[in-house]
Amino acid sequence: METVVLADYKEIQNFVREKSGDSFRLCYQCGKCDSLCPWNRVTSFSMRRLITQASFGLVEIEGEEIWRCTTCGRCTKECPRGVNQTEVSRALRTIATEYRVFPSRAQPISAVGANLATLGNPLGEKREKRADWAEGLSVKTFTGGAQILYFPGCYLCYDPRMKKVARATANILNAAGVDFGILGPEENCCGESIRKAGDEELFNRLAKENIKTFIEHGVRKILVNSPHCYHTFKNEYPEFMVKFEVIHTTQFLLRLIEEGKLKFNKEYGKRITYHDPCYLGRHNGIFHEPREVLKRIPGLELVEMPESYEESLCCGGGGGGIWMETPKGERLSDLRLEQAIGVGAEVLVTSCPYCILNFEDSRLTIEGVEGLEIKDITEIVQEVI
Amino acid sequence: MEDWLREVTEGKIGDVMVVGGGISGIQASLDLAEMGFKVYLIDKAPALGGHMALFDKTFPTNDCSMCIESPKFIECDRHPNIEILSYTEVESVEGEAGNFKVTLIRKPRYVNENKCTGCTTCREYCPVLVPDPFNQNLSFTKCTHIYFSQAVPLVSYIDPEACLFLKDRKCNICVGVCENQAIDLNQKPEKLEVKVGAIILAPGYEIFDPKVRGDYGYGKMENVVTSLEFERLLCSTGPYEGEIRRPSDGKHPKKIAWIQCVGSRDTTPGGNSYCSAVCCTYTQKQVILAKDHDPDIEAVVFHNDIRSWGKDFERFYQRAANLPGVRFIRSYVSIGREVPESKNVTIRYSTPDGVKEEEFELVVLSVGLAPLPDAKELAEKFGIELTPHGFCKTNPFDPIETTRPGIFVSGAFQGPKDIPESVFAGSGAVAHCSELLSHRRGKLAKKRIYPPERDVSGEEPRVGVFVCHCGANIGSVVNVPEVVEYARTLPNVVYAQEDLFSCSTDAAQRIADAIRENQLNRVVVAACTPRTHEPLFRDTLRVAGINQYYFEMANIREHCSWVHSREKEEATRKAKDLVRMGVARACVLEPLQELELPVNKAALVIGGGVAGMTSALSLAEQGFEVYLVEKEKELGGMARRLYYTIEGLDVQAYLRNLVRKVYQHPLIHVYTDAVIVEATGYIGNFVTEVKHEGRVKEILHGVTIIATGAEEYKPTEYLYGEDDRVLTQLELEEKIAKGDRMIAKAGSLVMIQCVGCRNEERNYCSRVCCSQAIKNALKLKEMNPEMDIYILFRDMRTYGFYEDYYRKAADLGVKFIRYDVDDKPEVEAVEVEGRSVLRVTVTEPILGQRLAIDADILTLSAAVVPSAGNEEMVKLFKLTLNPDGFFLEAHVKLRPVDFAVDGIFLCGMAHYPKHLHEAISQAYGAAGRAVTILSKDKVIASGSVAEVDEKKCIGCGTCVSACTYGAIELQDKRPIKKAKVNPVLCKGDGLCNSVCPTGAISLKHFTNEEIDRQIDARFEEMRTEVGVA
Repeated sequence: METVVLADYKEIQNFVREKSGDSFRLCYQCGKCDSLCPWNRVTSFSMRRLITQASFGLVEIEGEEIWRCTTCGRCTKECPRGVNQTEVSRALRTIATEYRVFPSRAQPISAVGANLATLGNPLGEKREKRADWAEGLSVKTFTGGAQILYFPGCYLCYDPRMKKVARATANILNAAGVDFGILGPEENCCGESIRKAGDEELFNRLAKENIKTFIEHGVRKILVNSPHCYHTFKNEYPEFMVKFEVIHTTQFLLRLIEEGKLKFNKEYGKRITYHDPCYLGRHNGIFHEPREVLKRIPGLELVEMPESYEESLCCGGGGGGIWMETPKGERLSDLRLEQAIGVGAEVLVTSCPYCILNFEDSRLTIEGVEGLEIKDITEIVQEVI
Repeated sequence: MEDWLREVTEGKIGDVMVVGGGISGIQASLDLAEMGFKVYLIDKAPALGGHMALFDKTFPTNDCSMCIESPKFIECDRHPNIEILSYTEVESVEGEAGNFKVTLIRKPRYVNENKCTGCTTCREYCPVLVPDPFNQNLSFTKCTHIYFSQAVPLVSYIDPEACLFLKDRKCNICVGVCENQAIDLNQKPEKLEVKVGAIILAPGYEIFDPKVRGDYGYGKMENVVTSLEFERLLCSTGPYEGEIRRPSDGKHPKKIAWIQCVGSRDTTPGGNSYCSAVCCTYTQKQVILAKDHDPDIEAVVFHNDIRSWGKDFERFYQRAANLPGVRFIRSYVSIGREVPESKNVTIRYSTPDGVKEEEFELVVLSVGLAPLPDAKELAEKFGIELTPHGFCKTNPFDPIETTRPGIFVSGAFQGPKDIPESVFAGSGAVAHCSELLSHRRGKLAKKRIYPPERDVSGEEPRVGVFVCHCGANIGSVVNVPEVVEYARTLPNVVYAQEDLFSCSTDAAQRIADAIRENQLNRVVVAACTPRTHEPLFRDTLRVAGINQYYFEMANIREHCSWVHSREKEEATRKAKDLVRMGVARACVLEPLQELELPVNKAALVIGGGVAGMTSALSLAEQGFEVYLVEKEKELGGMARRLYYTIEGLDVQAYLRNLVRKVYQHPLIHVYTDAVIVEATGYIGNFVTEVKHEGRVKEILHGVTIIATGAEEYKPTEYLYGEDDRVLTQLELEEKIAKGDRMIAKAGSLVMIQCVGCRNEERNYCSRVCCSQAIKNALKLKEMNPEMDIYILFRDMRTYGFYEDYYRKAADLGVKFIRYDVDDKPEVEAVEVEGRSVLRVTVTEPILGQRLAIDADILTLSAAVVPSAGNEEMVKLFKLTLNPDGFFLEAHVKLRPVDFAVDGIFLCGMAHYPKHLHEAISQAYGAAGRAVTILSKDKVIASGSVAEVDEKKCIGCGTCVSACTYGAIELQDKRPIKKAKVNPVLCKGDGLCNSVCPTGAISLKHFTNEEIDRQIDARFEEMRTEVGVA
């Protein structure tokens, strides 16, 4: 067994501390995080080991392991000692990013970062095409005042599958007579995921640009589809001493229903199950609203999967996971689809672009799930109004 | 107003109110009552017992919990100075120390406590099934029921939530079936005022409820149970009569998992950050018991640290871990899933080789101890403060003192603790009350007055037989009227009757009347066990004016109805046999006199450390003369080497103050630099010779307290003694306190735990070292936040609230590395880049890497070892040591400060390593126990003692070595030595007469003749049958 002289690693130790705060010091090596980590259903990954390495400065910054965590927050929520594992993971990636070392798993991050820096989206799409999704719909450009800013986010603006969700959302808003507008080409990526992937500097840039745009346009209230946008606007943007009212579509839908502005005229006679996105549920405690919306849809039967609410199973998309390649057989979304089939659901409903894309991907690559539909909650609502 | 209530109200002035009828409150009540204080014992439950009554067995001895606790219920019940108010809550408290007025609310039981005999007929007829709270709702009882069968008071109560009459006035069957008209469905809550001088709070704790957060599937998955529920499953009075069955299908689980730290060591919302201190060991107990029930059970315990910090806990852990089919896995876990078909539960856990998932048939959650849910209200009522955790706030140097004078606290309301600590805290609280109220001791106490004994020596035996139904306990199996009829036919029996409960107050009166009216001179009661009830009936004989040794009990319950419940006819025949045997023995019983000895009202305290001084000062404050003997030149003991507590208090200042108080107290005589050279005598009358300043002084004293402390192990490992930079924790503490330069300029420091203990030579945990290490680490971090501190440990045993300091140390950057006993750290002095360091190399188990730490200072957490003088004390005072060399108490659980030898008590580190506040608590406990003797004018020794027939004695000394109490001596009676029994020390256990080769020793009350007659009577009928007679 090789012997490591700890004194040689003191600098890295301090570096990790500087980047992530001190919570990793609290770890008493109980192993609870490992037992909860969804990766251990499909492969082997030890968060405990990573935390222990961090505390001695023995982390392999150039290794794959620091790129594993999807920041789903399952372990952080239940850690009996109060260690913030997702923060530690993020901090370690920050170090790797600063040194520009990306192992194979994290290779795409580099390109994503370049796209974000130049185009304001991770997909390499042109900025001016950002509002193309709204073609043919009566969607205005945001003009300020009492208007709500609708912020669809990168994937809903560009991804063919997700554009449907943006359109559904716009249709619902119009049907309910909501006064809203979009920023179009002026919209930038919210920066949440690149921050979790370690590029703090880029996050700062994106956030500042967005904040600047928001302020210039007099934005007060922001409606988002992505829980990731929701999370960063609500919990991270205040680091820049600004505060906007942020509302997620599921919350807004329920409000519209309760105010009588949205009425369901049709039946949706299917058995569905709802998947709690990590950043909506666990990170922000929004469990009730999506379910309440679904329950009010006539004919809809809502069933719960074994892991729901606080225990929801991560799709694998958070923490930059959406950009990284996960080999077949190691995909968490595959497990989730099996769970949906297991409870006899015909439709797997959720409210996060990453989840939908990962689920759609799994639907095409694994067997026995052909009959399952993947939907955003707005798509269902659109069908019944 | 009800009769029962008036009776209480009239006697509404007492000395002390004890709030809480668990084991701590019970101990406090009994000690107070013995001292002559009038006690009100309040319990909100329908019966005494607290949580201990719910346990199947107690660790680490695996004694039956109810069997050791229930005799104490009866003692409380019978004690003339104790008034039990069960099912009662405190409403308000006014006044001040010495003069409190407490308003109580007696909740309606809907049963008249004075009329109810506990026969359970009402229960038989009650049509409403309710979940049984005593069995954690795992089984059903009736709406009208007795809390549990050994309940004191043995009185029914009605659950108003379920009673059909109380809800809708529908049913009153119970009213009609009660022959004593005890049911009163119109009972209302009653207010009651009691004046007392002091209050002891012993309200206990609550079990952590995993249902609130749904921890580990509890409440959703049927086969996930709490450890308290499992305790009931194990118990013979539990839902399945002691069979371990799982909830989903009643099957016997073959594979059981225990999950540790449920609700404890948990900083997530809804959890408790502290360690509950008892769960590791109670789990080990449950594993051992489960394996006893079914050796094929596979048991897995999922844990982080194993906290075997108490006396004998380490061996107990090894015992559990070494059983076949038992695994201890170091990992916290999460629940995988419930298997739909089998309802089995899978558990996911970490190993060095990755996460594994394993299926179990039953999962037990080792739930922690939570503060009382109504702690806030309680604190407001009593005007006391709570800690942020919701336990009672106490003086850090005296955990018995609350923030309000005159109100004391004992038991788990002080914080999570196990039974012995609750017991000695109970006695300690008594010492505090007795200090406060010493002027009124004995003023309200009741004394029984007996008529002169009738001389029956010339009379023929006239035997009265009383056969007890014990409600349905005996009556439903044994044909009691038939046994009574049979008894009447026996020779010398002139009277026989049956009773529903022979032990009830009215039945005792009837027995006394029958004795007088029928001129009975022998009494046989056929009922339950003499272990609990013989004192009661003997008392009845005294009331009736005959010698109490003319009494014999036939146990037709434990020995008959309980074990033969399905063989009623045979049981009745056996009951007759037992009665016949009892009568035969009774006829030859002899009257015996008990010995009354005067009590020398002075105490000898050996050991002038904090424990000894605290005991001495408390005894003196209670009004007794104390001789305090210390072998060193100065008082203070181990505390002289402590400078601060983990909370940051100044130990030396505390010590100086204590020493001053001891020297200033007029009733305390201090002998330092003194040696005990001779010790003789017995309870109430000890004679001890102390050599002091060249002269030998003879001290006469009634009690002795051993507080001789312990020592720090001198390490022989890790370069200790060879390199000046290697220190023990105490040496480090001294250097820190004195501002030593080496410490001030050190950049890195390593501590190694478990040096000299938890090994083959010393197979115990020294208990204090983990917290001591944390304490010093915190102090160093305070001085120099940049210092690198590493603690190399095996298990961090920061039990109780120390856990918060462990977390704090981690938060400040102290690094913790677990090492394995088979792969200990290595230390060498090396030069690194011109700097001389101690290089400590250790394997980090999570990383599987050897780490080398270059330390400027190495601190060894050296074991606490028994005092070198213990052997000498053992010889002088005829005491016993445990295998580790610490003194052995009379009973690990319930007599933690008593010795088996009467009149000698134990406290501090002489008992086992412990923290300062724990030693102080125990010291008060010892003082409290000691005053139960010193407060009396005489002590009584049993009449049933051994006696030597000198003509037969050959002076071989076999009896001397057989006696565990040192009650026999060989006396020089030329030409040979002869054995002589000291009746005061003799416990009447008969060990000596069974080994005497010549039959020279006999045991009074158990003479050969008495026993022969009894045995002969057993075979009488047989002999008649075969024609031998």
